[in-house]
Amino acid sequence: MGVKVTPGGFAAPGTAMGFRTGTWRIQRPEHVHGIAPCHHACLAGEDPQAWIASLAEGDVAGAWQRLIAANPLPASTGRVCPHPCETACNRGGYDAPLNVHGLERWLGDAALAAGWACPAPAIGRDVPAVAVVGAGPAGLSCAWQLLRRGIRPVLLEALNQAGGVPRTAIPPYRLPRAVLDGEIERLLATGIEFRPHQRLGRDFSLEELETDFAAVFLAVGTQKSRPYSVEGVVPRDLRFGLDLLRHWIAEGAVPVMDSVAIIGGGNTAVDVARILKRAGVREVHLITHERMPHAQVPDYERMRAAPDEIVQALEEGVLIHENRMVRRLILRGERVVGVEIVHARKLKEGERVRVQAFEGTESVLKVDQVIPAIGQVVNEEGLAQLLGQREFLRVEADGRVPGTSRIFAGGDCRPGLGTVAGAIFDGARAAAAIADLLGRHETRPQRGAVVGLDRLNLHYFDHAPRQEPPVLPVSERAGDREVQGGLDQQAAHAEALRCFSCGNCMACDNCFTLCPDNAVLKTRAPLTDGSHYVFDYDYCKGCGLCAHECPVGYIAMVEEE
Amino acid sequence: MNGQTISIEALRSQQPRYAGLTAGHRACLGCGQALAARLVTEAAGPDVIVANATGCLEIFTTPWPESAWRLPWLHSLFENTGAVAAGMEAALKAQGKSTKVLAFGGDGGTFDIGFQALSGMLERGHEVLYVCYDNEAYMNTGIQRSSSTPHAAATTTSPAGRARMGKRHLKKDILAIIAAHHIPYAATASVAYPADVRKKVRRALAVPGPSFLLVHSPCPLGWGHDGALSIEVARLAVETGLFPLVEMERGSLVGVLPLRAPKPVRDYLALQGRFAHLFADDPRAREELAHLQALADANIERYGLRAGGAGLDTESADTVRRGGGQWA
Repeated sequence: MGVKVTPGGFAAPGTAMGFRTGTWRIQRPEHVHGIAPCHHACLAGEDPQAWIASLAEGDVAGAWQRLIAANPLPASTGRVCPHPCETACNRGGYDAPLNVHGLERWLGDAALAAGWACPAPAIGRDVPAVAVVGAGPAGLSCAWQLLRRGIRPVLLEALNQAGGVPRTAIPPYRLPRAVLDGEIERLLATGIEFRPHQRLGRDFSLEELETDFAAVFLAVGTQKSRPYSVEGVVPRDLRFGLDLLRHWIAEGAVPVMDSVAIIGGGNTAVDVARILKRAGVREVHLITHERMPHAQVPDYERMRAAPDEIVQALEEGVLIHENRMVRRLILRGERVVGVEIVHARKLKEGERVRVQAFEGTESVLKVDQVIPAIGQVVNEEGLAQLLGQREFLRVEADGRVPGTSRIFAGGDCRPGLGTVAGAIFDGARAAAAIADLLGRHETRPQRGAVVGLDRLNLHYFDHAPRQEPPVLPVSERAGDREVQGGLDQQAAHAEALRCFSCGNCMACDNCFTLCPDNAVLKTRAPLTDGSHYVFDYDYCKGCGLCAHECPVGYIAMVEEE
Repeated sequence: MNGQTISIEALRSQQPRYAGLTAGHRACLGCGQALAARLVTEAAGPDVIVANATGCLEIFTTPWPESAWRLPWLHSLFENTGAVAAGMEAALKAQGKSTKVLAFGGDGGTFDIGFQALSGMLERGHEVLYVCYDNEAYMNTGIQRSSSTPHAAATTTSPAGRARMGKRHLKKDILAIIAAHHIPYAATASVAYPADVRKKVRRALAVPGPSFLLVHSPCPLGWGHDGALSIEVARLAVETGLFPLVEMERGSLVGVLPLRAPKPVRDYLALQGRFAHLFADDPRAREELAHLQALADANIERYGLRAGGAGLDTESADTVRRGGGQWA
């Protein structure tokens, strides 16, 4: 190795560096970027771990930029999303899951308060335009993602304002309109061409869109209530839940009854129940064959409404009859005077789930009105050739409508959706496919494995309480007053620091500090792999200590070739 | 991020810490002592001089004619490290230099062979920090038991078998002996708590007069565990109460690393081959397990390691933060 023997009989300092102990190695540590469970679970395709990391570093603007790269409506989704990210959060297996939706909302509100503009490139008139039909979350998201890629979106909306379901059917006590307006105005200010009062099938046709635009994204939502009857019987004065909800949001009033039975277990059912309570209905029953969310209740049996909303509805006096279904409408003439309900369960047989009612468990509930909130289907107007006999628009994995070349669809008009966040993801997915179609290929990052609790070294994390925002007391819940409060800045920062950073280097210095062989080198700037450390394979003996002690599961040992 | 590339050699020369012990040393995979020596010299250096007793550390860092040390370093003998360090200190003092003197020894060179030299150094009040890297046996010569080897551990000279369950005798309470010297600062530390090691080195060097630091350093070969688990094992020794982290000034206890929920000694023992015989279906094994648990409980009681209620384990000495810095 060229080491000189010194005349005095001493060894020169640091000469052992000439001996490459890396040759001893049979396995090597490597950085593996894992997927955080919150990222995997996010309906909108956000990577919460990434923006929470920026928040934890105190970079609020940077966090917001990373957040809106996936979701341009964070203050809204932070309020209305059922946040599966929190159900998935590894911290839930340690003390309590991170308040991800609280952070998202705080960040969204901070951006609105500061008046930050969405960063978007200027687009020339010669760039091909893409038609986006429907200015709800899916349409807005698609337009935003097209714009970010330098493609010109034209947003067509049947109503006079953008917003879709969040504007027409989410009660303002859940989503204040100032927040929604702020986020939509900010988005439309980026240069998205917005054309209100344009209804598909009335003001333009699908053929016209195909002729005039390079591609079409249909985010028309669902406008028609699913037909309702019990054994063919329909009460004369039937009102659908969503119609009541829209009426209340638009007019601020609904017909007041003494007692009602709402059928359904989704967000609409719960929202209708709560607005009827606010409107002064004495007895509000909610009848669902699903069960209230609870740790022991399997997913397929759970009510689809957001768990927080269910809790708040119960607090406000809504009577929820879980595991029940309506067997018979009790009519006097054509007026409902009650319903016969029966115990029922969702049973799983292999992949199939069916609802089974049980004989001998019938009882009668006296009500003045039955309000179905059992879902909606697509209005076929202007879409007849795509819909055929179906209730929804089918789409392929990239959002393309089968059998078409340039038509994409997403949001509530495709089957199986029903969340704002899911619609936002659909918009982004279609935008990416449209960009591909228009020759703007982009490499998408490879997704690794989801990092579970077993991959983390929990020893390195202190227990810390989850930060919970205030909730309006039941006595003060009335009209449009927002029920759920937000985190304050201090709480938001404390909450961001609770993040386990699953599968993503948090530059904690553990590997750098604990390597017995001085074989981990630290870099000043983050590397392309997202870490701050380099393995010095000349000297790494492959003991695996760094991998075992990595708190976030970012280091894996792989066999040496 | 700005697209610059840097060679690994250049990067190595720009590391944000002082490297008293470089790479290229011949320690085994996952060596606790190599890590401990690195942490101690990082905190003590660069203006230091080291006297190093015979032992693993001396052997694996200095295979002639190379050296992994980047500080003045001298191989004393097994038995006289304390005396050599004392001589260095006296000479430096006579020259009016402020260079700090460190003495390094393993548990064999400290608890047993070099003990009188250490005791003399402490008694004469030389301003030396004596660091004992405690891996609980003579690992360098083939895992023979030392007076530091814990009770019931199997070594090549205290094998477990029909006659007995590993070592018959108890681990020597070196700290009590050091305390009897009434020196200004003595402490125990563990490689599993690097921030604590560094803090104690700085404190020891800041006080005038002799100081002593006992650093628990797992030996994957001698203890029979995977090198990847060195930190885990060292941490469990502390968390079970078998190796309490304490600080003493002038012989009285001034600080301990608290444990909120002490772990059962089984957790620690089960990871190591040297205690494998304690898990056999044998009444003697059960008795020794209970004995070791009692020793741990006695430590917890004696040093008051149990944190009161809401206190955090280890006062967050080992929790990580985004952006590092907690190990400084």
